[in-house]
Amino acid sequence: MAAVLANPIARRLLRIPPSYFVFLVLLATLWIARPNMLNLNVMGIFIRQIVPLGILVLGQLVVMRVKSIDLSGGGIILLINYFISSGSFPGASLPFFVGLALATGLVIGLFNGFMVGSRRVSAVIVTLAVSIILVGLVQFLSSGNPPGDVPKLFNDLYNTKFLSVPTPVLFWILLTAAVSLLLSQTVFGRYVASVGENAEAAHFSGVPVQRTVILAHTLAGLIAAIAALVQTGSIAVGSVRVGLDLPILAVAATILGGVVFGRGDGGVWGPFFGALCFALLFVVMTVLGIDEPGKLIAQGVIILGAAIFYGVRVRAP
Amino acid sequence: MTNLIEMSHISKAFGGSKALHSVSLDLKAGSVHALMGENGAGKSTLMKILAGVHQRDSGEIFMNGEKLDLKSPRDALEAGISTVFQEHSLLPNLSIAENMFLGREPTTRFGSIDYRAMSSQTAKALGELGLTLDPSQLVSNLTIAERQFVEIAHCIQADASVLILDEPTAALNAADVDVLNRNIRRLRDKGKAVVYISHRMEEIFALCDTVTVLKDGALVGTRMVSEITIDELIAMMVGRELQDLFPERMGEKGDEMLRVESLKITETSQPLSLTLHKGEIVALAGLEGQGQQRFLRSLIGRYHPFAGTISINGKALRMPLSASAGVRHLQKLKVGFVPEDRKEEGLFLALPIAHNIAIGLHSRRPELAPARPYRNVIARMMEVMNIKAAGPSAPVGSLSGGNQQKVLLGRYLAADLDLLLVEEPTRGVDIGAKSEIYHLLRDFTRKGGAVLVLSRETIELIGLCDRIYVVHDDTIVAEMPAAQATEHKILDAALMGTAARQH
Amino acid sequence: MYRSLFNILSGRHTRQGLWGLPLLVALVISLWLTVQTTEFATAENLFNLVAQAMPLIIAAIGQLVVVLIGGLDLSVGSVISFTTAVLALDQPAILLIPAVFVLAAFIGLINGLAITRFNVHPIIATLSTQYIVLGITRILRPVSGGTVPEIVIGAVSGSFLGIPYPVFWGIVVILAAWKLLYGSRYGLHLFAIGGGIASGAESAARNFGVSDRRNIILAYVICSCFAAVAGVFLAGRIVSGDPNVGLLFELDTVTAVALGGTQLSGGIGSLHGTVIGALVMALLANGMNLANVSPFVQTAIKGGILLAVVGLQSRKKMGL
Repeated sequence: MAAVLANPIARRLLRIPPSYFVFLVLLATLWIARPNMLNLNVMGIFIRQIVPLGILVLGQLVVMRVKSIDLSGGGIILLINYFISSGSFPGASLPFFVGLALATGLVIGLFNGFMVGSRRVSAVIVTLAVSIILVGLVQFLSSGNPPGDVPKLFNDLYNTKFLSVPTPVLFWILLTAAVSLLLSQTVFGRYVASVGENAEAAHFSGVPVQRTVILAHTLAGLIAAIAALVQTGSIAVGSVRVGLDLPILAVAATILGGVVFGRGDGGVWGPFFGALCFALLFVVMTVLGIDEPGKLIAQGVIILGAAIFYGVRVRAP
Repeated sequence: MTNLIEMSHISKAFGGSKALHSVSLDLKAGSVHALMGENGAGKSTLMKILAGVHQRDSGEIFMNGEKLDLKSPRDALEAGISTVFQEHSLLPNLSIAENMFLGREPTTRFGSIDYRAMSSQTAKALGELGLTLDPSQLVSNLTIAERQFVEIAHCIQADASVLILDEPTAALNAADVDVLNRNIRRLRDKGKAVVYISHRMEEIFALCDTVTVLKDGALVGTRMVSEITIDELIAMMVGRELQDLFPERMGEKGDEMLRVESLKITETSQPLSLTLHKGEIVALAGLEGQGQQRFLRSLIGRYHPFAGTISINGKALRMPLSASAGVRHLQKLKVGFVPEDRKEEGLFLALPIAHNIAIGLHSRRPELAPARPYRNVIARMMEVMNIKAAGPSAPVGSLSGGNQQKVLLGRYLAADLDLLLVEEPTRGVDIGAKSEIYHLLRDFTRKGGAVLVLSRETIELIGLCDRIYVVHDDTIVAEMPAAQATEHKILDAALMGTAARQH
Repeated sequence: MYRSLFNILSGRHTRQGLWGLPLLVALVISLWLTVQTTEFATAENLFNLVAQAMPLIIAAIGQLVVVLIGGLDLSVGSVISFTTAVLALDQPAILLIPAVFVLAAFIGLINGLAITRFNVHPIIATLSTQYIVLGITRILRPVSGGTVPEIVIGAVSGSFLGIPYPVFWGIVVILAAWKLLYGSRYGLHLFAIGGGIASGAESAARNFGVSDRRNIILAYVICSCFAAVAGVFLAGRIVSGDPNVGLLFELDTVTAVALGGTQLSGGIGSLHGTVIGALVMALLANGMNLANVSPFVQTAIKGGILLAVVGLQSRKKMGL
């Protein structure tokens, strides 16, 4: 095993994030099983369904690069979805909803960041607890004022196309590019890379470590809000269960994409393809007749497998 | 009388550097044997080999004439070799008795731990040291002195025939030291061999009968304490040649840049004061752990001193500095701090050289500012510092120790600073790189900067610096111009501490 | 005298953690409920309370074992659901009951191996096993139903000398846990390993010859087995297999453990603290039910409690 790892070609291949390989494998599987599905229209629809996940992945990868995690995205999406569909703000305009969503994401992200960065509480526990509080809150509010129809404006925007590519997909690609620019071209990106690689060294170099972690979580909150807006556009009626499993799927996609805690080998596009993998995975599973529980098992196996893979890789000389 | 322990021609290397060159040491039963040498001389390494923590590369160890093969700490313990290291190994959330018997707890018929037996045996062992501590007390509630005694009691309880004590009195007051000495004499009278690693001359002369001196990993000699003077001892520990590595010192010094007045590092330490001027390289010399690092790190908020003022360029700093913002605060005042451990605290090993150098420049700008590539600065740094690498995008982890250290320094030299606080500038660096680093530091001061440097290599400080402060026991005990300093003088001051001040 | 009482309650001179405060809270809540409602202080309600609390108490004890070594097991909820699903397979009890424990032990083994041999962070490892086990559970039992063996149902309903069986379950489990944690060398070694991990000297216990690897793996196996016991109890109570019954158990057990004064960083904690913590949560649930608080709000409040308790503990490192 060690000899295989030492081979220079193997080394090069190992540095490529698994998501690219898995994507190709899934694409091949689909081509063999249902070649007629591989056209732009059908694929466009499937990929559009994965856009909220893909957007959430962006926030998750920023947070994971500073060795933290954010599991509150599901709760944020649920809350914003409720705000929009419950009719609690009659006559509100699109800009209002956008502003409300972003404010919600900002506040929750800030709270997470403060707890993780300043109080040094375990990120998993904080974000999971926040998610539970949000879910409980929404379910409670729903029992009094159930979610209704999503304003038509959202659905309309969601269903548009630009050059036969669904708008949400284009939006997702643009957002990914923006985050990529943020991480590679700004000082903040340098801070993130430094804190993730060696927080002590970052401290001695003058990097504001705590502030970077807080900002990372705040950004993740904002991104979750954006994902919520897209997600709301994809459904006609509000729900009390929308988006809850997205955060852990985002973790899986991010790890698959080569971004492991503290490292950023996969950049931003590795996790992008990680999300695409899940789009394909769901299609393949539906085609092969595997359903919901299979999704859960796949998630768990991917995360565990990737974590073991990286754990082993770190230790090999 | 055969020797209880014979260590014969022990050699050990870590990575590329040799820590021990064919060192031989004999321990007799019923003796207290001092082991001396400057930091890095190899004392700890030699004793760790005897304790089974490290494995020797070559040489043999004999006990009562029989060869010993110590592959692990357990082997050493079973052979009757017990150690009390400086890094305490007691578990704080367990009681004294539980610590004493961890891994070999006596059990009752039902499989439970026999606390009563443990307690009484522990009390007995503690009693032999004159301690009346309650065996069921948690170690976390003990003072450092008490913890040290418990560790020694552990050794006694384990019926060791060889006891290795590494700086046992570092945290003890005079009364505790008396108790300790009394017990060491008692152990000696019982026929044990005690190895006493220490820098405290008074204790060594009071307690030990034999002394072995190591220097740079080699044996200098073994003498009877009754047949040697302090001066001769120091002469054995020093005596290196000042090599031609160092750039010329500067004559003039400019305005005062750093002034420290009456700073008390701990509640009970003597106040210390020092000054630093533009163009100067000033040293904090002395034996390891005497407060140099505590002082330097209190400037960035890692330690909170108990009194005193620190002024940079005439303006007093608001104390206490916060641990998380101290470095950035100082950065705004154009002061940089270079940490000692380049792997754990200094460098981003998986990231490119370019990132490691430029991060000092990035950290002064706001988050949303575009990150400039600083290609020119990086290229210039790499050239000026003679950093040998495949290119600026090579990961720093792939470089040699010397080049890594240069990258670390490069970050601070590129960041347009006025004052550098440097811990151990050339640790683990080859001779050639050392010389380059010295020249770089001197160039920095030629351009108007100032450097406060801390190093355990006294000879390096003499060659590099303009002035030397000698630190002992958390305060400054001597100051001398480097041109007139010798290793002997510095070590004398460092070892004798307050006694030296009275001369 | 007051100082020693304070010391006992604050747990400062022991490694028991701060269990006095939750005990006080439990007493206050009980008192308040007794005064405010007529239903609380009845034997029927109290026995019901114990029966409701029992799965949490059992699972929290298992979680304690893992928390003591500085770890966390987020898969306990799915193990509980899985256990009920297996028991509902309509097979003879003699087959099913050993099977659930073997399977639970196996899950714990996977967790332990991933954490010790492959250096996976405990949270990541147990989070992924949670999803795998949950997925398997949903395949076995997509909706609640099935037939649970008679003997299991009988073991949780019924009484002996007027005391319902669940109370005896509690006594047996607590006694077994007591023996494990305080009456064996393994228990002490758990504290030792946790103490080393908490103070940053991870291999401190190893210097004494205490094998941390094997003991850590065993801790996760024990935790899963306790979760299985909780699952068996629940299966008897709800008389069916239910893939959703274990949801939120992972956070509830961590809350109970932390409430009881156990430090999540390891080495400090107590059995009685954990039991008290679990009882406090059961009391809160009971009280909130009696006050007709919506179950959704109850969930949110539980999350809030977890945040508060965890936010008050201090850690050395930041992050995961």
